[in-house]
Amino acid sequence: MTLLPSCKDVQTHLTEYAEGSLPLGRRIGIWIHLRLCKACAGFLRGMRALPGLAKRALAPPKETPEAAVKALADVQGMLSRRPKV
Amino acid sequence: MVAADTDSGMTEASSNESQLIKQAAAGDSDAFGALVQPHLALFHNGIQRILGNTADTQDALQDALMSIHRDLPRFEGRSRFSSWGYRICLNAALMVRRSRIRIHDMERSDALAIGPFNDRGHHLEPEHLPEWQVEAQAHDLVERQEMRECLVRALDELPDSHRIVFVLKDLEDWETEDIARHLQVASGTVRQRLHRSRALLQARLRTFVLGGRS
Repeated sequence: MTLLPSCKDVQTHLTEYAEGSLPLGRRIGIWIHLRLCKACAGFLRGMRALPGLAKRALAPPKETPEAAVKALADVQGMLSRRPKV
Repeated sequence: MVAADTDSGMTEASSNESQLIKQAAAGDSDAFGALVQPHLALFHNGIQRILGNTADTQDALQDALMSIHRDLPRFEGRSRFSSWGYRICLNAALMVRRSRIRIHDMERSDALAIGPFNDRGHHLEPEHLPEWQVEAQAHDLVERQEMRECLVRALDELPDSHRIVFVLKDLEDWETEDIARHLQVASGTVRQRLHRSRALLQARLRTFVLGGRS
């Protein structure tokens, strides 16, 4: 593995690698490393899984939060005090 | 018949929404409430993801709702009302974010990788590292309140400059170039902040999403 980038080096550049913004030589080095190193391949899988997990975890709640209901009520109050068009 | 019923149901809903839009634009506050209420949780959530659970979120939601009302006459129905309103909410959140005085919000020196590594930068005992589970099983874990809370806490730990990049890229699916343009930073900076955020979040979620091999 001495001619290949280290695990730390690979993990540090995985977002750039995934976006294809690294020079070809670096991309090839990381590509090979990922095929040889289970730990870094796992880090990449985790990075790819994260958006899906985060989207589900941070999806809108079934019940509208009280703060949102209050904000709408306040806006409706302001609107009702305005002259109608 | 089922398809026809569904079509007719959707047409009815859309016609009802169009009617509410007209009435709300004319100043009917009840119509505005009825129009917005079904999407209120979505709008609030979009803003909260950007600003965190702060008083700013409520202020931004109020601003967004006022903007939605003001711009209703310009809504042409090319997209769904919920998508159009959601974009207005995100813009309102981004405006509030810009106006915040950001202290301690500088580039961080946190690790961009998850170790431990040896002095040559390779993993120590990689055979004992746990495996990240990306199967359906891992997604089921999301249902656990504990994991949701952990993710929210981890997001709150991120400096504002990093949180916004993660939210826009990984939750809102913006292109890196668009984020860079919006934040007025280089694309490389966006990628670096995004990567740091992903590494931190991944480290925090290890307890939940990693299967034990060690």
